[in-house]
Amino acid sequence: MMQGLRSLLPILVFTVLYAALSLSVTNSYYQLVMTLVPVWAIFGLSWNLLSGYTGLISFGHAAFFGLGAYAVALGQIYFDLSPWVLIPLAAIIGGIAGLLIGFPTFRLQGHYFALAMLAYPLAILYVFEWLGFQEITLPIKRDAPIAYMQFSDHRFYTLLALAMMLATILLTRAIERSRFGMALLAIKQNEAAAEAAGINTLAWKLRAITLSGAIAGAVGGFYAVVLLVVTPQSVFGMLVSAQALTVAMFGGVGTVWGPVIGSAILIPLAETLNAEAGSRFPGIQGVIFGLAIVCVILVAPEGLFWKVRDFLRKRSGPQKMATQTAPDLPIAGSTLAAAPSPRERSQGKGDVVLEVRHLSRSFGGLKAVQDVSFKLRQNEILGIIGPNGAGKTTLFNLLNGFLRPDSGEILLNGREMSGHKPHELCEAGIGRTFQIMRPFQRMSISDNVVVGAYVRASTDVEARRLAADAIARVGLSEIADRIAGELTTKELRLMELARALAGQPRILLLDETLAGLGHDEANEVVAVIQRLARDGMTIAIIEHTMQAMVRLVDSFLVLDHGAVIVEGEPEVVTRDNRVIEAYLGKKWMAHAPH
Amino acid sequence: MPKTNRAALTRRSLLAGASAGLVSSRVWAQQPSEVKVGLLVPVSGLYARPGTVMRHGAEMAVEHINAQGGVRALGGAKLKLVVLDSGDTTEKAKNAAQRMVAQEPGLVAASGAYLSSFTLAVTEVTERANLPVLTLSYSDLITDRGFKYIFQTSATAGSQARQALPQIVKLAETASGKRPKTVAIVTDNTAASVSSAKAMRDGLLAENGLQLIVDETFTPPLADATSLVQKVRSARPDLLFFLPTVISDAKLLLEKMNEFGLGQGKIPTISFGIAIAEPDMLQTVSPELLQGLLTCVASWGAKGHEALIAELKTRYREPWMTQNAISTYGDMWVIKDALEKAGKADRVAVAEALRSMDAGPSKYYPLGEIKFDEKGRRIGAGMTIVQWQSGVPVTVFPPELALVQPLWPKS
Repeated sequence: MMQGLRSLLPILVFTVLYAALSLSVTNSYYQLVMTLVPVWAIFGLSWNLLSGYTGLISFGHAAFFGLGAYAVALGQIYFDLSPWVLIPLAAIIGGIAGLLIGFPTFRLQGHYFALAMLAYPLAILYVFEWLGFQEITLPIKRDAPIAYMQFSDHRFYTLLALAMMLATILLTRAIERSRFGMALLAIKQNEAAAEAAGINTLAWKLRAITLSGAIAGAVGGFYAVVLLVVTPQSVFGMLVSAQALTVAMFGGVGTVWGPVIGSAILIPLAETLNAEAGSRFPGIQGVIFGLAIVCVILVAPEGLFWKVRDFLRKRSGPQKMATQTAPDLPIAGSTLAAAPSPRERSQGKGDVVLEVRHLSRSFGGLKAVQDVSFKLRQNEILGIIGPNGAGKTTLFNLLNGFLRPDSGEILLNGREMSGHKPHELCEAGIGRTFQIMRPFQRMSISDNVVVGAYVRASTDVEARRLAADAIARVGLSEIADRIAGELTTKELRLMELARALAGQPRILLLDETLAGLGHDEANEVVAVIQRLARDGMTIAIIEHTMQAMVRLVDSFLVLDHGAVIVEGEPEVVTRDNRVIEAYLGKKWMAHAPH
Repeated sequence: MPKTNRAALTRRSLLAGASAGLVSSRVWAQQPSEVKVGLLVPVSGLYARPGTVMRHGAEMAVEHINAQGGVRALGGAKLKLVVLDSGDTTEKAKNAAQRMVAQEPGLVAASGAYLSSFTLAVTEVTERANLPVLTLSYSDLITDRGFKYIFQTSATAGSQARQALPQIVKLAETASGKRPKTVAIVTDNTAASVSSAKAMRDGLLAENGLQLIVDETFTPPLADATSLVQKVRSARPDLLFFLPTVISDAKLLLEKMNEFGLGQGKIPTISFGIAIAEPDMLQTVSPELLQGLLTCVASWGAKGHEALIAELKTRYREPWMTQNAISTYGDMWVIKDALEKAGKADRVAVAEALRSMDAGPSKYYPLGEIKFDEKGRRIGAGMTIVQWQSGVPVTVFPPELALVQPLWPKS
């Protein structure tokens, strides 16, 4: 709680200073500029809430902004309603528009999403032109100006805009620190991994675009009150959508400070250029403004905020790292010694947790997985091996719901689960890691892991507890506050393991967890996995190579060309001719021990 | 003298003089050596070209006024033009207006802001700052808001359509010997075109015994004019009202009409607004294609402006005098007259003088008087019909302003 308050301090100080500055400005033109800074900052924040956190770039935020602006203008003209009522209404309209636009558009990803979003404001622009609203003005209310938000002193607008900005920042901060924000960040890093970690990505994205649309709608409505004239171009135009991107990308994407910094620099800069350079060399203002943005993007591609933060971190970083790297080594070493060998565990006798029957999946003519059946018992470690392209990862993708099987059954505790969504399978108890690691680079280990905990936790506190527990189980507690970007490959592998563990799965699917590790490092990770098994976890692990696996697993499932060729205990499997042939080719058969 | 006074001001004397400020400013107001007049027009961006021509007109007028002794009622005070860039968006125009009223407290009046949407936004600011603004924008909306500080020198769009139709019918009748019966409208959906077309549909055509047989609206920029022109060709109207705003759209339609054999006046084609008679047209459309094309404009260089037209040609290398130049030229003279009447360099007094002004027949705007009604619309504001003849758009109507005889396309 104290920490939360302390982190809010810079925001409150900034707001108070800005308010004081705006009150001291008497020139009505500078007052207008002072009002536009928070207006565009809010719009940038609204964009940031969707695009900054989820990574789904929206080129069409003007759709929500414009609907809000028109709601306020038309509401006052036709129903004589006050903006005090209409701006909240504009927020509702923006939110509904977000939901309606998001639902079909989230089927698209990456560039396709961005381009589809671009179309909405442009389409709506023509609708409003066609409806005959090319130029509408908010009627002047000489008798009741305050009731209609028409202040003769422009500073009231600045204070109102500032209050809206503060509210938006606080909302964004609250989201950032909750499971909502974690879910969005997870989606940004790797949507597939997020689904696998138990996050219902579509639901969270819809919530994000609804909220983002609501904020954009409200600020669009306020903008109409400030501008007094609403034209389709001025609220739905390309430049409006671009403005949100510009302030957020200039200042920093994925942080509340970004849009605020971007707006506070760019808006006064553009206005000053218009005022000073524009009257002497008409048009030069656009050139200078554009160049300034190009330079900043080249120097600080993620925005000013991150550049400055990384710079400060680098300066205070080295001492911290020196004291932090030492402690984690002995832990891993000691667990290795204490780990029981596979033989010490009861094996092959436990209940069947997962049963796979005749599972097949083809991609066109390629049979990636064909007629695979196996059973996974409680507390067992199953090694799935096979040469490159044998269908190992495809099998995992079928098991955790990324792919739908063409035929066959997946029974989890006797329940048919094939065809369910990844986050549903995660909830049902299947956790997994990935061959290619997708850490959330700028987040600490704890934050990385907590993303995986939400599937089990009902509160943020519980999620933190589960995450801390998972981190302890993989032996990373000492360095839990380190940023993922600073970790070694081994630490990242362990962190990914912890993320999967945080959701308290019953079955853990590990995809090439040992890949890229040196011999000693691999041993450390093996020790951790063995300890997990000892504690009752059921594990299926994919590996490309056999050496490290022989000591680890209870039994092997060998795949080649998508089909099971051998199944059994390690000693038997490693001597099997078919396995040797699959791995080394026919000519090595002669050298194999018979 | 105030100039040297101001330069000599130190911080101490400023403080000391603060209490006496009211008195001294009144002293200055009585005997100013110069009076600031604003011109808020686009001089950068998409609309820089027309804005620059407006600036030419204003500069010429200020020079002429000052050369002829300045404002006599203020002891021969000279006018000083303050130009602000309205940019190319509504927001920029509004910000520029805010800058104008905040940073130029000495302004007594202004002219602007080219596009109707800019003028709407700009006057929202100037109205609250009690700064009188003269405008050539002719959207009816501008003077329908109950504002007290806006003066519209052009006939409004609705009024133009009302005036134009009877005259065009008359022109057609005398030239071809028969009265036109059917019309086509091809219009874009910008505000000015929409109000013109709406006024025609809502009764004006019927009043003039004309039947609407083709009615097409498009959104600029036009990608292909084929279907529009095909509809016109199959209907064969007696008159075609053609209301584009963007030059590229006009070019596309004219070329397509020529391709379909409707060009060069096979179907008499009448436009509204000045876009179609701007010098830029010649850069993209050949004079042969334009020959005979008529357009109804709010104002144009006409009979009585020959010397001005010649001066504009030599000084700024403009081929002819458009509405932008002549109207803005006139605005400066009206402001000068208002200053003479007000007797002081004060914006509220100038606005009051404009409201009560009755300066007789208009010299620079077509027809009517220099007198404004309670909405701020110029009384009797007429219009000019201009025709492309051998690569130059010349005034052919009304007869008292016409520089040459109209060519009516042979039927």
